[in-house]
Amino acid sequence: MSLRKLSHALHRDAGYLCIGLTLLYALSGIAVNHLRDWNPSYKVVRVTSQVAPSNYRGVLSEAMVFDLLRQIGEPTTYDNIFQSDPTSVMVFVEGRVIEFDLPSGQVLHEQVEPRAFWHAINYLHLNHPKKAWTWVADIYAGGLILLALTGLLLLPRGKMRRRCFILTIAGCLIPVFPLLFYY
Amino acid sequence: MKILTSLVGMSLALTLFATSLFAETYGAGLTLKETTLVSAILENPDDYVGKTLQVKGLIVDVCATRGCWMYIAGDKPFQKLRFKVTDGDMVFPMTARGKEAAVEGILQKFVLTKEQVLARKNHHAEETGEPFDPASVTSGETFFQLRGLGAEIEDK
Repeated sequence: MSLRKLSHALHRDAGYLCIGLTLLYALSGIAVNHLRDWNPSYKVVRVTSQVAPSNYRGVLSEAMVFDLLRQIGEPTTYDNIFQSDPTSVMVFVEGRVIEFDLPSGQVLHEQVEPRAFWHAINYLHLNHPKKAWTWVADIYAGGLILLALTGLLLLPRGKMRRRCFILTIAGCLIPVFPLLFYY
Repeated sequence: MKILTSLVGMSLALTLFATSLFAETYGAGLTLKETTLVSAILENPDDYVGKTLQVKGLIVDVCATRGCWMYIAGDKPFQKLRFKVTDGDMVFPMTARGKEAAVEGILQKFVLTKEQVLARKNHHAEETGEPFDPASVTSGETFFQLRGLGAEIEDK
């Protein structure tokens, strides 16, 4: 088999193998590029409500926390509480966080849920699993290098035409400009 | 034979991935046998700077954007300690809030100017979506955090 035919076969098969992961990394890449605009992994729902200002201060007892929960119609049960100062309390209830500002009576309800699709692909893209997934990601990166190199040999009639040359150089220069301006 | 090969393959794949998918261990995990109380650290923080410490407590906050820090509640009221890792090194889920954790890291000390405090609190407000009034910062400050090496978070 000639080098050209071998390159073609390798490029084709590596391309098929890389389709799934390329889509995963590309979609997740777009998602995590815009961290300032949205949280790509979690849906955070914040709702505020108002209750009567409370006279409770300092370390709150369980009965006091139950009283606060009753005022917002919550069942009198919680997983944990935390107070960062004597005038507020965070109550952890079944994956939710309820924050009471005691002097003002303002209540912040926060619920966090992983985004069904995005959390999963970001989990893989950002290599949270580590271990074996690191190998998979490395092999995929190797596959992309193979695609790039074999792609160079997919020359129409075996010749590097001017258009191929210009596009290849242009592609290589894309990362150079941001380095010149921002690095 | 094909079924046997498939089963062996699936078992191998499960073995390779299982520890990652179901683990609650982050980074290097836990190596120390002794736990230090947050209250002890915060009472005399300079005594602990540069030392590797294990701390246990409730996770009260997690970095919403990158999962790169957590606050661990202290054993005494109104105390908490920041546990910070290099971005991407370990990623703590936001859903870890309200769970118990044991973490290990090296205590660091930061002496910040007023401008640095402003920048840091502004960044924190952006990450958490919490309101922040720049006028509330009137001077520089010193803060301590654990540079994270490993952690274990309970799985309820």
